[in-house]
Amino acid sequence: MSEAINDAFVSTKAIFRDGGLAIDEPAGAINTPLANRFYFYLMMPAIIVLACITLYPFFWLIFMSLHKVDMGTAGDSWNHFKNWTRLVDDRKFIQGWTLLLKYSALCMLFEVVMGVGLALILNRSRWEKLLVTVFLMPMMMAPVIAGLVWYYLFNSTFGWYHWLMQSVGILGDRSILGDKATAMWGIVMVDVWQWTPLIVLITLAGLKRVPRDQLEANMVDGAGEIRNFFQITLPNLYPFLLIAILLRFMDNFRFIDAILVLTGGGPANSTKILPTYLFDVSFTFFKLGRGAAIALTLLIVTIILGMILVKVFESPTTSKSRTSEE
Amino acid sequence: MFRPPANPYYKKISRRRFLQLGGGVATAMGAGSVAVGLNSMIVSRPVYAQSSEDAKWKQFAGSKLVFMSENTPPSFAIRDNLKEFYDLTGIEVEILTDGLPTVQQKIGVDLRGGKADFQLNYVQDKPIGAPFADFYEDLTKYTQDDTLPQDPDGYEADAWFDNFLTACGEYYTPGRIVAFPYDCAVACTFYRQDVYEKLSPDFEAEYGYRMEFTKDTTWKNVHDFAAFCTKVRNDGNKDVPYGYAQHHGTFAWTTQLDIQRMMFAHGRWTEFDVDDRYGSKEPGPTKWGDEQSVLLMEKFKELADVSHPDNLANGTLELNTAYAAGDVAMQVQYHEFAASVEDESNSRAAGGKTAYAVCPKGEQDWIIGDGEAVNGCNCGIGGIGINSAADEKLKKAAYLFASWSVSKSTQLQVLKKLGGTPTRPSVLEEPEVAAARQRPSEMPNALTFDAVYDHGIKDPHFVLGPKIPEANEYHNIILTEVQRCLSGETDPKEACGQIKLQVDDLNEV
Repeated sequence: MSEAINDAFVSTKAIFRDGGLAIDEPAGAINTPLANRFYFYLMMPAIIVLACITLYPFFWLIFMSLHKVDMGTAGDSWNHFKNWTRLVDDRKFIQGWTLLLKYSALCMLFEVVMGVGLALILNRSRWEKLLVTVFLMPMMMAPVIAGLVWYYLFNSTFGWYHWLMQSVGILGDRSILGDKATAMWGIVMVDVWQWTPLIVLITLAGLKRVPRDQLEANMVDGAGEIRNFFQITLPNLYPFLLIAILLRFMDNFRFIDAILVLTGGGPANSTKILPTYLFDVSFTFFKLGRGAAIALTLLIVTIILGMILVKVFESPTTSKSRTSEE
Repeated sequence: MFRPPANPYYKKISRRRFLQLGGGVATAMGAGSVAVGLNSMIVSRPVYAQSSEDAKWKQFAGSKLVFMSENTPPSFAIRDNLKEFYDLTGIEVEILTDGLPTVQQKIGVDLRGGKADFQLNYVQDKPIGAPFADFYEDLTKYTQDDTLPQDPDGYEADAWFDNFLTACGEYYTPGRIVAFPYDCAVACTFYRQDVYEKLSPDFEAEYGYRMEFTKDTTWKNVHDFAAFCTKVRNDGNKDVPYGYAQHHGTFAWTTQLDIQRMMFAHGRWTEFDVDDRYGSKEPGPTKWGDEQSVLLMEKFKELADVSHPDNLANGTLELNTAYAAGDVAMQVQYHEFAASVEDESNSRAAGGKTAYAVCPKGEQDWIIGDGEAVNGCNCGIGGIGINSAADEKLKKAAYLFASWSVSKSTQLQVLKKLGGTPTRPSVLEEPEVAAARQRPSEMPNALTFDAVYDHGIKDPHFVLGPKIPEANEYHNIILTEVQRCLSGETDPKEACGQIKLQVDDLNEV
């Protein structure tokens, strides 16, 4: 055994000595069963850590979702899928999903449109570096702090933004967060303010990689700025935008700090998106079994959405733009 | 300079010796780290019933305690004064403060997880005491322990204001005390007497009675005042404040308390048919949805319709800010807020403009049956309790702190310093406190004491419950359905029906 490890170690040293995967080593040398076992041993600590922090909680979550979890006192008891069956009749759960999708869609729409617009304006402008730094500032703020700042800005007694919106006739004496018709717009506004810079950043990176020859060729063919944008720039931006959308979509499923501070899900549950409801069920009502069932649905849907977005990313349209770039 | 002396004595250390020394140092450092990690080095000294008071206080010197508390004045004032406790006991105390919902969540995780990261907890009666009562130590065990120092004023029910010990200390089982009353927030009416005086002639011409607030002022009168102020304001007099405002912000409990005051004022209506003082783990079917509750929900909505328009966003703090800014002429608020209202640098309602009265009374015509109309008053009595999962010696050390923090001298100090809310009647007997009950007052909270301690908390006006293990989910149901009703999504009957449906399901009825 130790001999085999020693052999593998010697071959690994050879690889490193040659500065990378050794070209002059026989191809099989690093794929022999013994070498593989050695690499496996090397990876073992990382695998154990990963299993502890991801796999164990995942299976524990499934276990909890099938039990009535009573931390500390009575222990956990099997409850005949009750946590799952009651989700069907749980109005707040259904409403939570609807609101989450609405919230995510609104955030995404505004963030992408504004992010791309701002990136186009900033791209190659004289003050690009300075302005990008300024625009990135909201993103550096902890979401809970952003929530608090906007909470005060929206306050109907002393909030500056409330005063502004009241002065221009958008709002009356009622604050944007105090009306179930407008509260959703309030939380969307905060998310857009904080996360549009991320879209700007990613889009700017994409814009730097738009091939100039294609743009120039298209202009020679008589295309103007707008046609150039839709025919050349946007197709080249697809992969970047999809990454940005994927990231933001998943963030919207996770970040509830600002919403908890701003509305707590109210008024009348009008902003109680599913993660907010999940937080209440798990850490305010301490119904951990029910919370686990809700969390699992959220996890499954997130995975499916992620897979769909990756599929779209790998679709011929986006591949084409990448190929053309290459 | 660094050269060795001419005849140096070198002693060569063997490898074995070196390893022994290294091992010894490592073991010592490890043990030290463990001690620090445990956050507590208990140096308990044996103490007997006959020992001196000083020895009793000092017996747990070297211990370290963590107290998780709401960000209320007593916690801030006590934190500033911890040296006094340290000098008395040698016990180090760390006080962590946060907003009540966060405190509830952190304490919940600690208690339900069987941990004792926080040996001392702020036991706010309904949001923390009711769901977690079983996780706290029975303090009667310590009050009868001769080896522990005891407060000369005692800990019996009569050492505190009426019902306070029961409110925060007794849950489901009478006689088992899990917390001592640490601070309190009792509801009373804050109103702008300058605005009332100004508007009274016109109001009287329209409604036929004076616009003034007495202990017989009913919820119907409050509606009239609010409707009149709003009408005057809508007629173009923007300097006239809204007549009334409710609490429906992000923290569900305050909404439940807000509507509970009005409900209880009418025939002492309560949510469950159980002894309201102790509550029940199986409260049975709720009374929500009955004829009385539907009628009062209608009245509550009518009042909301003529009140400050931002009711659904304003929690207790925001409402008080609106009042202090001069946007509201009347609020039913917790008496601890008097200090901020009377702060002339931040409040337009300061300087004698605000008067304090009992909560509005029930309107006899709105009572179905022959119930009694009372000044429905409720509270949040914050207790201090000890985590039963903590080490036995730490629990005793925690008892010393609990006892000291609720003593008369500490409460008096807090009242003078930051505007506390005493829980012991003996504090009010102090001449300086008695004097502060009249303007000009050095202790603005004392201006509310007549309304609160002399009337509001007395039977039959005071409502303590509902104490049920699912209190937080119950509050959340009330918040949601009341908000849906007030925003016009459901009518009062539907709202009450929805509450009944969900609450009965919650309590597995």
